[in-house]
Formats: sequence, structure tokens, C-alpha cells
Amino acid sequence: MPSHPLRVAVVCSSNQNRSMEAHNILSKRGFDVRSFGTGSHVKLPGPAPDKPNVYDFKTTYEQMYNDLVRKDKELYTQNGILHMLDRNKRIKTRPERFQSCKEKFDLVITCEERVYDQVLEDFNSREQETFQPVHVINVDIQDNHEEATLGAFLICELCQCIQHTDDMENDIEELLQEFEDKSNRPFLHTVCFY
Amino acid sequence: MEAQFSADGDDTPHAIDMTTSEKVVDLLNQAALIPTDEKLTVLKQVQELIINKDPSLLDNFLDEMIAFQTDKSVEVKKFVIGFIEEACKRDNELLLRLIANLNMLLKDESVNVVKKAILTLTQLYKVTLQWLVRSKVVSEMQEACWDMVTQMKGDVLALLDSENDGVRTHAIKFTESLIITLSPRTQDSDIPKRQEGDISLDKIPKDHTYIRYDVLCEEGKAALEKLLKFMVHPAISSINLTTALGSLATIARQRPMFMSEVVQAYETLHANLPPTLAKSQVSSVRKNLKLHLVAVLKHPCSLEFQGQISTLLLDLGMPQTEITRSTPAPREQRKRPRHEQYTEGKKLKMEPTLMEDDEDKEEPAPLSVTKPSAVPVAQSAIDLTAEFLHPLLTPENVANLVLISMVYLPDAMPASFQATYTPVESAGTDAQIKHLARLMATQMTAAGIGPGLEQCRAREEDAGKEEGIDEDSGAKDLLIKRKVPAVMLGQAISVVGGYTEKAQPVEAAPLVKRLPEPILPSTQTKMAGTSGRKKVFRLPDVIQPLSDNQIEKLTSLAVKRILRSEKAIAQSGMSHVRVKLLSRLVTQFEGMMKEDVLDFILEDIRTRSDLAFALLYQEYNTYLSQLPTGLLDNYEHCLYTLLSGLQEKPEQRDGLFTKLVLEAPIITESALEVIRRYCEDESRVYLGMTTLKELIIKRPSRQFQYLHVLLDLSSHEKEKVRTTALAFLKRMYEKDQLRDYIEKFALNYMQLLVHPNPPSLLFGADKDTEVAAPWTEETVRQCLFLYLSLLPLNHRLVHELASVYTEAIADIKRSVLRVIEQPIRGMGMNSPDLLLLVENCPKGAETLVTRCLHILTDKVPPSPELVERVRDLYHKRVPDVRFLIPVINGLEKKEVILALPKLIKLNPIVVKEVFNRLLGTQHSEGSSSVSPLTPGELLIALHNIDSTKCDMKSIIKATNLCFAEKNVYTSEVLAVVMQQLMEQSPLPMLLMRTVIQSLTMYPRLGGFVMNILSRLIVKQVWKYPKVWEGFVKCCQRTKPQSYSVLLQLPPAQLTSVFERCPEMREPLLQHVHSFTPHQQAHIPASIMSVLEANKKPEPKPVEPVVEREPEPVATSAAPAVAETPPVTAVTLKETELPVQQQPASMTEEEELMEQEESEPVRQEETVHAVSEVELSRAEKTPSPQAETTEEPMEASQPETSDVKEPEKDVPEDNMAEPDAGSGSENAE
Repeated sequence: MPSHPLRVAVVCSSNQNRSMEAHNILSKRGFDVRSFGTGSHVKLPGPAPDKPNVYDFKTTYEQMYNDLVRKDKELYTQNGILHMLDRNKRIKTRPERFQSCKEKFDLVITCEERVYDQVLEDFNSREQETFQPVHVINVDIQDNHEEATLGAFLICELCQCIQHTDDMENDIEELLQEFEDKSNRPFLHTVCFY
Repeated sequence: MEAQFSADGDDTPHAIDMTTSEKVVDLLNQAALIPTDEKLTVLKQVQELIINKDPSLLDNFLDEMIAFQTDKSVEVKKFVIGFIEEACKRDNELLLRLIANLNMLLKDESVNVVKKAILTLTQLYKVTLQWLVRSKVVSEMQEACWDMVTQMKGDVLALLDSENDGVRTHAIKFTESLIITLSPRTQDSDIPKRQEGDISLDKIPKDHTYIRYDVLCEEGKAALEKLLKFMVHPAISSINLTTALGSLATIARQRPMFMSEVVQAYETLHANLPPTLAKSQVSSVRKNLKLHLVAVLKHPCSLEFQGQISTLLLDLGMPQTEITRSTPAPREQRKRPRHEQYTEGKKLKMEPTLMEDDEDKEEPAPLSVTKPSAVPVAQSAIDLTAEFLHPLLTPENVANLVLISMVYLPDAMPASFQATYTPVESAGTDAQIKHLARLMATQMTAAGIGPGLEQCRAREEDAGKEEGIDEDSGAKDLLIKRKVPAVMLGQAISVVGGYTEKAQPVEAAPLVKRLPEPILPSTQTKMAGTSGRKKVFRLPDVIQPLSDNQIEKLTSLAVKRILRSEKAIAQSGMSHVRVKLLSRLVTQFEGMMKEDVLDFILEDIRTRSDLAFALLYQEYNTYLSQLPTGLLDNYEHCLYTLLSGLQEKPEQRDGLFTKLVLEAPIITESALEVIRRYCEDESRVYLGMTTLKELIIKRPSRQFQYLHVLLDLSSHEKEKVRTTALAFLKRMYEKDQLRDYIEKFALNYMQLLVHPNPPSLLFGADKDTEVAAPWTEETVRQCLFLYLSLLPLNHRLVHELASVYTEAIADIKRSVLRVIEQPIRGMGMNSPDLLLLVENCPKGAETLVTRCLHILTDKVPPSPELVERVRDLYHKRVPDVRFLIPVINGLEKKEVILALPKLIKLNPIVVKEVFNRLLGTQHSEGSSSVSPLTPGELLIALHNIDSTKCDMKSIIKATNLCFAEKNVYTSEVLAVVMQQLMEQSPLPMLLMRTVIQSLTMYPRLGGFVMNILSRLIVKQVWKYPKVWEGFVKCCQRTKPQSYSVLLQLPPAQLTSVFERCPEMREPLLQHVHSFTPHQQAHIPASIMSVLEANKKPEPKPVEPVVEREPEPVATSAAPAVAETPPVTAVTLKETELPVQQQPASMTEEEELMEQEESEPVRQEETVHAVSEVELSRAEKTPSPQAETTEEPMEASQPETSDVKEPEKDVPEDNMAEPDAGSGSENAE
């Protein structure tokens, strides 16, 4: 076991569905977890695919909730957005942007390749100072409620396994290979430095 | 814990009033006693207080803080490391005190501590260097501190080879930082804002008292080289590779002078991704590569590499437009020719430019821009070769190349290829051809071929010369133009450094550097002095498959080399490795080398036994790993060869054979065969069978298989083999689990005897014998060896023999009777089973039983039990007197006498044996046997045999046997016998014969005999014609002694004497005449007249004599008649009968007398005949005699011991022969 609890960040695009689902589960399992989005804005589905609801990262979940209730309570109840926002606001007040966070993590888990790329780009654009390593792993999760739940459990299992390794950095590669075989999906994995 | 801490604060309301120092003391006291989590919080507070709030306290509490480095918790240790970093940064002087602690922690057993220590050293390395550079005067302490930092630097670099992935990752980052620090910052360098103040090579004065610019510069280059080498390690982990890629990008951007190496490293990596990467890892690495390439591309100095970078990016799947967007404007680059980069930063530093902002989209596509000729930079070997190849890559040539290389394609597409393959977007375009040329050039240069390399080499030599010339100026002027960029790194350094001692023979430096680093297989193919580019090239691309013959030859040679290096390796103490290697090699691959190794082992198996065992076990292991389909063939062959080899070697006493057999995991059929052969070797039979015995005992699962071999050997033709096998089997017979099997085998084998012909089993499979071969002594014995050796151990088995015996043919019976002596004797006559056998005596087994009885009683007197059994048998079931012979001494006197008539009618040899037994003359130690009859009694008994029950001839022979025993029948004994016989009435027929015989043997008995004769006269001996005849004969023989006896006869009888032997008369008359007159007066007249009767003319017809005969009888009868008138009549009557018999008895008598002379001879003949029969039987030629001896009883008689005895006795018999005997007696 590593000597300190793993500091985990879960990152998706808007810090609403996938990262929050994982945040929810991971924190329930006692992880030191934070969640983020990498997009420039927070986007939620709107009445039509080309009409999303767009908020900036300063908007609280509460505000979004209220906004959507006002706009079309039935629609957003039916598609689960309100329920999701309701859950989110119990976890934290507002979505956070990964690029703005200066906290250091041991493990960053991204929920799709585009997010992974953005995280990597962010790390590479930062100036390295302490060279403290951070592992970035991408777990592809489709952006819907079911997949988010399944993905969250997978992430949770992964984190638990990593937490239980004697020497995370030494064992992580092998562990990921095992996980790939088990879950039958590829994981992108790299290491960045603070 | 936060709460707890604040609670503490609440508990101490005066805390506010405390000085910082007091607070620190308080916190440190707490920290010593609380659990890790809280401890960390407290310690962090202390750190904050003494470093930031009141640094003056730092020195005071330093020791207390550092003391926590021995804490058990990894986190606390890590904290201490962080504290060291902060403290040293705050007060550089503390480095002197703390660096050793960091060094200690760098060697901690926890990797997490080590990693943290590496991170801290990364920082402190720079801090220390800066501090030293700033110091005007460097103290000894500072020097030592720097030395330690340098040594730690080396330690961390060495950690690039650590086993732990995370440690390696940290070491890579350290190396990156080190390279940046130990290389000069130039105006092209990207400088992170935070590191702006960091030290770098350009800030180090060249005249520093302790720090040497040139050494650091070298170290920086070496670190880069090490990093590059590390990166091309074929088994590098994906994380390490990612880290290294990032580091290289950082290096390229911050130190553009290394961009060439970095780009080349990227190229090489792209072409040769480590084969160990999994598919997703390949994607990750490629993504990183892309990211970093873009980052490098964005750097203004990437200009001359833009072509290569964009080709790589295209291959990685980046759209051209995106590439173009990331490409900086070339206009700016031209202002900064590359050769100026190494100029110590004297020129004005350019403003760092953000390329994204400066992006100029109107610039032409980078591909066309990057013409090497446009840049006045010397070309690398790859560049040259690529240029050389470019015009050659016509569509036709390329097509041919593809076709040729098809052959070398692997059967299955490698995962890495599959993952990295992107369709060639711009096939046939100039750009693509150029790219292809460059790819090929990369591979060729890595393989050490191509025109570029040659040119570079030539240039290097020039440079070397030039350097020599520029030597003096070189030291001062570091602005030497870099003529060979991107070539041999070490080379370049020596040019730049420009120090005399470094400008030594050009090739020496890189050679020395390479030596201690045997990490990369690819470097071995490179030649010293060639390009320093590190390419991992794919082995399959370079090699050509060897032909099968070549492969075999090479493997064989390789194995032989390992074999021959025996001594050298033994001296180095690595024999076990060699043994392991050989055994693995040989078992893995088929072919000749297996034989080679086996031969090699057998050459000197004693010292190479470990190899033998290793090989054997390895083979077995292989077999096991292939179960259940695996074959034992290889193992079997190995074991067989080793065992056979050992067997063929001259005898060894080290027990290696045994060891091999006992330690072999499985004994195969063929191995068992070798063991068998070993056992059959007379010189090793004992060792072989000991081994076999061990096998039987120690491998119970197959013990019967092994036991069977031993059993087989128990009837082996070689005596030594056989007896040894039997000895072993006897011991094993005592083990319960083996007993049944052995017994069954023995009985089965014996059972073979019931076959009319010997089964071919007895001859072994290889001997080609027709089934109809007759039984021979040899084959019969073969069937019995084992049985007979078991018999004394288990008497019960004797009954089996009896049943087989009854069924067997005569030849076999004879053989059986011959071989059973030892075992039967071993059983002894007290054996209940033997007694039972005697009691039951199965029909047909009579001879066997008799033989047994003989054997038992041969040396010891029979036990009462045995006698009882035999008596029963004789009386109740088989009234054959021959049964009695062995136990005759155990019978009662009466029984013996009763049996005598039958006994003496038997074969003379048997009779002789009977007498031997009875007389105790059988053996020298005959004293033990107590005969029921004394010799005298025996002789008397013989005389008293009823002539109706036995013919006289047999009786005579029997008595002769007695007389032959001179030691027994002494004169005294005979005298007693005669005395007793004489007193019998009627007189025994053979009385006189015995008297004569006794007299012949002992002439001194003469007086006694005269006495007997006289007394016979009293008993009117003439009434018994036979006796009378003997009487006359006796007188005849004993004359003149007998004269006085004769004179006592009545005249009629005297006449009768003279009638029988007329020649007696005259001497007797003479005898009387020699008397004194007085004496003569005593002679009755009638006697005298008889004596003188013959004074009348001789020619008297016989008739008157005959007529006259009754006269004397009548006359002489007168007084006699007067004395006993009735008797005469009776006597007459009585004599009538014998007279009638006389002709018969006479002839018999004649024979009798004759026999005296001829008997021994005959006996000898008989003996002869018997022994001849014996011989002929021994020769296994069925003779007519043999036919006759088929009667069971007789078959038993002609037995070796019996034959010998008569032969020995023959001379005695001769001695006993009357004439010869008398002669010798006379000599007395």
C-alpha cells in the first residue's frame, strides 16, 4: 500500500455526468477525489442537439438546475438532467475546470480521449517545477447516464486496485494491462510532471 | 486532527504569549509522541515556523527536525526530505550539514523515500552548484559537499537501471534537469519563468577554483548520451518511454543545440517502437510522441528539422494543416544559424516568443522549406545517406525492394506494426520519397553501412587533425565552429571543450565511455567512431535466415565450446550455471549435440556427474511438462546412454551407477535392461544386484518389475550371477510384500518341469532352440535354483516339489534327486513339513521321499519322529523295505532282523550301505549312530536267516560284507559269534564257512577253531551235510593242526573225510606214526585201520570203496549205535533229506566256495557297471541301463555318494579276500 491515500482527479468535458458519477462513487469509497471538466464551457443537452445549454464554469449546479426547471422542467426531468444536477449540487457547488486547478494529484482519470489530450496538453504547457509525477489514464466512457454509472464503477475498481498496490508506479503498467484484458477496452496511459 | 490541534491551542490559553521558539519546542515535543498523521501536521507547522516565520530558529532546531528521518513512517521520512530541501534553499550553508542526510535517504529501502530524495536532489543539485559558483572562496567543506553531490548525481544516474519503474521515471527527470543545468542557456532557449534564475552551464565561470566548467560540460553530454541510450532500450517500459520523450522535448526546447539528437531519437523511436509494448501502450506512446513533436516543432530552432518532424507527424496521423499551424515562421530562424548556438549566451537573448502567436499561415509548407542545402550546416551521416538514396528510389527499385523484403516478413503481423500503421498518404510524391530515403538511411546508419557514414568518418579524421592545429586557440576561443553537428556526441564535446587533455586520439574517448554500458544490443553492431545515433533496429530486418545445416553446425559448435570451457568455468566458480545452461540447451533442441554432450559426460563421468544428473532431470522435466502427450523417448535415451556408458566402463568403485539408477526419476525398460546387463557382468554382479535391491525396496510402485529381473537372474547360466541373485532373493524373501511374488515365481518355474520338453522360456528369447529339445540336467536345475534356495526358508514348499516330482519324467526325477541334497539337509529331519511329506508320501514320490530320508540320515542318526513316520509308511502304505534303510538305526533290533532277508536281497551297493549303517562304519564319525544290533548280533542274525526267505547267495554276500569290515569284526567278535553259532541247534548252515573265513582272517584263531571243531564232533557235525562238508574243508585247511581233531572223529566219519579228500590220509597216518608208541596206543584200532586202509594197493576200484563205505559206517556205527541207537536212525533219516537236497545245495556250496574267490571281483564289476551307468546318465545319453533304472526305487540307488563308497571299499574287499587276507595275516 502506498503510504498516503491516493489523490485522484476525474476529468470529463463538462464536469457534469461522467466525472461527477465517478466523483460520487469514489468519494463514497473514501478516496481523496476531485472532479473537473476540460471544456471551455459547461454544456448540457438542450431541446435540440444543436441547441445545448451552455454555462461558464462559474455557474453553480444550483443555478443551472433552477435555470433548466424554468426552461422546461418536464424535458429535463425526463432526460435525467435535473436529477443529475441535483446529485451534483449535493457533491459540490459548481463545476471546475481542470486547467485552472493548481492542486497536485497522483492520478488523473479522463473519460474520453479528447479530454485526455487536453489534460496532456495542459500538463505540457505548465512549467515543471517539482517533477512530481502524475499518472494520466483515459477510460473511454460514452456520455450518457448508464455508461457513466458503469464507467464510474470501472474507475472505482481501477482506483482501488492502484491504491492497493505496494508500489503504484512500479505496478501500474501491469495492472492496466490486466484491466484492459478484463474490461476489454484500451486505456491510454501516460505520466506527466508537476 | 485539525480539531485536536486547535483543542490543544484551547487548552493552552497562554499559547499566544509564547515565543516562536517556545512554540516550536512545544510542537516538537508533541510530534515525538503522536501518530504519523498528526505528526506530519505538527511537523509541517514547525517547518513553517522555522523556515518562513523565523528563519533564525532554523539552525537551532535543525537537528531535532532531522532526527525524524529515522522515523518508521515513509511519510515522515518524505517530509524530512522536503524539509531538507526547503531548509537548504532557505540557507545554503545548511547544505554542508544536510547533504549527507539526503544521501542516506537516497539509499533508503522504501522506493517512495528514494523517489522523494531524487526529486529533492534535482533541486538541490542546482542550489548547490549555484551556491558554490557564488562563493568567492570555496572552503574544504564546500568542496566535500560538492563531491558528495557529484557522487549522488552519479548514483541517481545509475538508477536509470533500477528495477523499479517509478525510480527510473524519477531518475529520467533528474537526468533531464541535469542536462539542462549542465549545458549552456542560449538566446534560443525556452526558459520557464520559474527557472529563470536557475544556474546553467553558461553561468559557471571557467576560472572557478573548484568547479570545472569543462568537467560539468562533459557530464551534461554524458547524461544526455545516457538518456538517449536509455530510451532505445528495447524493453523500456511505456511510462519510462513517455517520460523520456517528454524530457527530450524539454531538452530540445530549452537547449536547442541538442535538437538534432532529440529529433533523431524521435525518428528512431518511431521506426522502432519497443516490441514489448502492448497495443494501448503503443497508442499512448504515439500520442505523446505527437504532442512532444509538436512542442519541438513550435520551437524556432526546429527549422532545419521541420521536414523530418512533419513527416513523423504525418505518419502519426496529424493532418497537414495542423502541422503547418504549429510550424514557426522560417524567416526568424534564418537569423539564427545553428552554429552560433554554442556561444555562451554572449549575444543578446531573444525575447522568448510564443510560437502560436507568431504563427504565420502564409508561409509555404514546411516540407519544401527544409532543404538541407539551405542551411549551412554540415550533414549527418543519415542526411548524407538519405541524399544518396533519394535518386535511387525509383518506383521500379522500390517495387523490387518490397518484393525482396517480402521474404523476410514475419508470418503474423506484429502488434506494434498493426497499431502504428497509417496508410501512406502521399505515396510517390517527392516528400514521401525523401521520407522513405531518410527512413532507410536511418536503418542503414544504425546498421553501420552507407556512404554517409564513410564520409562522416573521413570528416572526423579531418576534424581531429584540425583540432590538433587549433589546439592553442581552442583553449581560449570557444567559438570554434561546429563542423560536425549531430555526429558522435563525445566527438563534438571534445571539439567544444577544446581542452588539450581531451583532444587526445579521437576514438579513445567514446570507446572508453561505451565499455561500461552493455545495455543496448544495438550498440554492439555499431562500429566505434561511427555515428553516435542510437537506433534500435529490428533484428529480423538485418539478419538472414541460416540454412538448417549452418544452424546445426553453429549450435553444435556453440555447445562444444561450452563443453570445452569446463575448466575455465570451474575456476570461476560458475560451474552450476554451465551445467544448467548445457542441460537446458540440450533438452530444448534436438540433434547431434545431445550425443556430443552425452559423449562428453561419458569421457569422464566421475567429474561430470553433475552435468549428467542435470541433463537427466531436465529431460524428465521436459517430459513432465508435455504430459499427457509427452514421450519418454528423450529421457529414456539419455538414461540409457548414461547407464550403458557406465556399464561399458571399467569397474568403478564410486557407486555412480547405483547413484544414477537410484536418483533417476523413472527407470525405463531399456534402463532396466542395462541394469540387468550390469548384473550379468560377473565382476560387478554384487554392485548391480545391490542397486537392483535398492530399487526394489525404494521404488515400491514398480518393485515387482525390478524384482522380476532379479528373479530372472536367479536361473542365470553363470554361477556367480546366479548365486548372488539367489542370496539377494533369499534376503528379500523375508520381506512380506515380496514374499508371495518370489514364491510364486519359484513355483511357476518349478512347475515347468511337468512339461515333457523344456519350454523355450528357459533358454532366453535370443537362443534359437526348437521346442522339442530334451530336458537336460542343466535345464532342470535352472528350474529349481530359486525354489531350492527358498526351501530351507519355507519348508512348506516341499510339498510342491513332491507334486511336481510325481508328474515329471524319469530324467527330471533323477536330476531332482541329485540337486535336493543341500536344501533338504538344510531343512533337517525335525522339519514338520518334511515329516508330513514322509507320512503322506504321495504316490510316485517314493523315490523322492527315500532320497530325502537318505540325505537326512546321511550324517546324523534319525530322530524318533522320523523313524516313527517311516515305520508307519512301511507298514501301512508302501511296504518297500528300502524306506527302512535310512532309519535302520532307529529301528528296534527285532525289526531289523525281520527286515534283514529283504534288505540283503537288494542291490549289493544298497546292502553295503545298510551294513555300513548297521555297523556304524558309514562315516568316520559313526560313533554318533547307535546300531540296534551289535556287529556280532548282525552276523548271527545273518546266519539265522530262514533260507526259504532268502537265497543263500545273498546271505553269503551279506556275511562277506561283514567280514570285509575287519575293524569291526575283530577276532574277538568273531570268536564270540562262532561260539554262539556253534551252540545253536540245529547248526546254522553257514557256520563252517564263517569259521573258515574267520580263520583265514585271523590265523591265530587256529587254536580256538580246533576247539570249535572238536566240539562240533561232539555235536555230531556230520549230521549236517553242509556243515560237515565245511568241517572237512576246515580240517583240510588247518592241517596239520587239525590232525588231532580228525583223530577224534569216529572211524566212519574219518573214512568219510578221507573219501572227500584222500590226500589227507597219508599225512595223518604219518602224523600218527610220529607219535610216541604210548600215544599211538591211544589211537583206537578202528581209526588206525581207517588210516591204514589205503596201504592196500591203490588201484582199487572206486566201487569197493563206495561199497565199503557203508561198512565203516556200519562198523563204526556200532559203538555209536550202541551209544545212541535211536539217534542213528533219526540221523539217517535226517540225512536222507539233506542228501536229497545235496545236489542242489552242493552246487550251491560249490558256488559258495568259489564265490569266496570271485565275489570281490564281481562286486567290483557291479560297481563298475553302476558307475558306468552313472556316467552315462551324467552325459545325458539315455542308455538301456537307464531304461531299466526307471523303476523308481532303483533310480534312487545309483547315487553319487553311494557309488563312491563302494569304490573306496573295493580295496578293502580285496584285502578281505581270504587268500590275500591270510597272506597278510601270515606276515603278522
